[in-house]
Amino acid sequence: MKNRNSDLIRRGRRREDLKAWLIMLPGILLMTFFVWEPLLESIRMSLYKTENVELVKFIGLKNFISVMGKSNFTQALTNTFAYTFWSLLIGFVLPILLAMLVGETVRGKGFFRTAAYLPNMLPGLAVIILWSAFFSGEKSGVLNILLAKLGVPTQTYLTRANLVIPIIITIATWKGAGATALIYMAGMASVNPELYEAAAIDGASVWQRVVHILLPSIKKLAGTLLILQIISVFQIMYEPMVLTKGGPDNASLSLMQLMWQYAFGGSMDYGKASAVAVIVTAILLVMTAVYSYFNNKESDWD
Amino acid sequence: MKKIIRALALILALSLALSLLAGCGGQSQSAEPAPTKAPEMSEELESELNAFSDEVIDPDLTCTITLGNWPADTAPASELAVFEGYKATMAKQYPNVTLVPDYYSYTLSNYVPMAKGGTAPSIFQPPFTDPQLLISQGLVGDVTDALAACGALEKFSPSYVEMLADENGRIYGLPRDGYVLGMHLNVALFREAGLVTEDGLPMIPTTLQELAEYGQIIREKTGKAGLVFPASETYGGWLFTNIAWNFGCVGDSALEYQDETGRWVCNFTSPEAIAAMEYMRDLRWKYDILNADATTTDWAGSHSLLGTGEAAMNFAADDSVDQPTANKGLPLEDFALVPFPAGPAGRYALAGGTCYMFSPDITPDQATALMAYLRILGKLPFLDDDIIAGMRADYAAKRDRGAPVLPAISAWNDEEYNAAKQAIIDEYCNVDMRLYNDFFDSISEGTITLRAEEPVFAQQLYRELTAVIQRVITRENADIYKAMNEAQESFQEYLDDEINNA
Repeated sequence: MKNRNSDLIRRGRRREDLKAWLIMLPGILLMTFFVWEPLLESIRMSLYKTENVELVKFIGLKNFISVMGKSNFTQALTNTFAYTFWSLLIGFVLPILLAMLVGETVRGKGFFRTAAYLPNMLPGLAVIILWSAFFSGEKSGVLNILLAKLGVPTQTYLTRANLVIPIIITIATWKGAGATALIYMAGMASVNPELYEAAAIDGASVWQRVVHILLPSIKKLAGTLLILQIISVFQIMYEPMVLTKGGPDNASLSLMQLMWQYAFGGSMDYGKASAVAVIVTAILLVMTAVYSYFNNKESDWD
Repeated sequence: MKKIIRALALILALSLALSLLAGCGGQSQSAEPAPTKAPEMSEELESELNAFSDEVIDPDLTCTITLGNWPADTAPASELAVFEGYKATMAKQYPNVTLVPDYYSYTLSNYVPMAKGGTAPSIFQPPFTDPQLLISQGLVGDVTDALAACGALEKFSPSYVEMLADENGRIYGLPRDGYVLGMHLNVALFREAGLVTEDGLPMIPTTLQELAEYGQIIREKTGKAGLVFPASETYGGWLFTNIAWNFGCVGDSALEYQDETGRWVCNFTSPEAIAAMEYMRDLRWKYDILNADATTTDWAGSHSLLGTGEAAMNFAADDSVDQPTANKGLPLEDFALVPFPAGPAGRYALAGGTCYMFSPDITPDQATALMAYLRILGKLPFLDDDIIAGMRADYAAKRDRGAPVLPAISAWNDEEYNAAKQAIIDEYCNVDMRLYNDFFDSISEGTITLRAEEPVFAQQLYRELTAVIQRVITRENADIYKAMNEAQESFQEYLDDEINNA
């Protein structure tokens, strides 16, 4: 009797398993076709001399050596880390502050929440074109018109090597901070209100409540968003491509843009382009692994 | 909470409504476009379109061709009407040839996967920088036999054969139009700066030195840029090569050349090339005549700045005269096209153009049908009523939309054809030719030497030089020799990888 029951349970589980696999099958097929296969193909391509998309000859790591030996790679790598640095400086704290401010707002919370998210709804290219008019170095540039009212002479912005990356990150933050702030708001909303009440009864100031209750509550969420932000910024491409075209003198050239240049910038060297893509993936894998290591360690301590 | 939900619902409803509207607008883009009758089409243009012969030429030719040069729905209605006219004529003369209009705008990056995947349009229009690359990689179709069959092969200008054939002399493309690089002027700014002759014509800068000086006067008198220089991506390097030629970067001092062993050598550090780059530095730091955001300005942006009166001069060719005028609203009386200014070592002008090329999968029948289609478009060197009607329709359309109708630089060695074409152009000419004569005379009288683009890996060469220009015009104390040397090393490595050691 017992054996019969366990047989029935096993059969039931198998049926459940089969259903689950069938539900997942389209997703798995799509992932295999559109994500994993191109990824593996890209790694394979990076080891070959190519003629447009065809693999001509296996050349080992020659594409990597050639790409990494060029000055524009060093420049693009440095720039990409600079993008990440500025993004963390400008774009990491701002959504948290935004979420806190909107969270603390009593009236019109919905309006501010929508207002913060609104730039994210605009098409990316439209945002860049909009800001290019703002930062135009001509007299007709919006910022120059505003500064002229204050008596400041016409300035150029997008032709200054030291300014372009912070400007691009400011634009990207303007567009994306609202969306990240919404996630933080959801995280903050899940904090037990009794903790705040207890802290208020104990006479804790706003600052103390933020430091001792709010921030520890969203720490894990912030950690996840941090690594997602780094991964996203590391792949920055269309913003510099449209706004500065990588200039001046490669000062805003990113690794992904360099990859695009190899593939479509006139030389059609898909092998070298794939090598750059593999390098970017490798760097991101290392960074994610380091983050996961420390995150797991911290979880163990908890 | 209810309010938020209501607000979100409103936003969603608005977005849906907008998407629906956008969808309605886009519907005609996906399928074959409906025949368009331009509301602003002139009677003259309409009558030219009706002048095509209805006689059936080949009822047996049966195939389908996709026309990658079809204008977008946003193109001027008169232009769309012209193409609809061509299509209707083709349907009458070749009733079993099916024409499928395709909104395809060629770029190297979008074309390669299409050619590989078998979805490239039967005909498309790349610039003259790409044919050799496409031919060498087997990405385009051979039309030699179809060209010979219709009698156009022998009329090809030899320089174009060189650009559009493989090493065995097989032809893969046809010239659409040639261009010669010169300079566009915003005559209104010249007037404002007092740079006009007694006849009220603009004082044309005949040398690069004069260009700098006139630009400075314009900057002082009008506050606008004397010269717009698109120093982004590959554009800066492209224009710089012409300046460099005029500083003497030709022959043994060319920016790239083949040595006696057959090895390709990059030569950016010759005294001539350095002098040319110093000139670029002076334009920015000594004369201060460049547009403010030169490093982010591209080809379209440079036309926009000239057309909207933000800059007085722009290095540009005769094939883009419609950009600042018809497209950006510069009145024709405020626009001039002049020859490329001479440098201390000569006066050269870049000659290039756009061509028609064909899908690698075309069949002999499709090749024949494509030649018939190009004949109706007036792109083959033949004179019959249809061709004359096509030319007239083309020039009438140009005139309708306010673009200058100018003499064409022919890519065909056929005097009769060229003379007939010129006679028709004269009929439709809508500009004061005194603003253009110097340009066309310099070519016909040989006072300017035409020169094709640098022979190998031109785009890569331009990209390297653009980076140097960007450094030089954004840093006053940039070490020019060092920057040119770095670019030279980088491009030499590229040449070694791609040709010398391949």
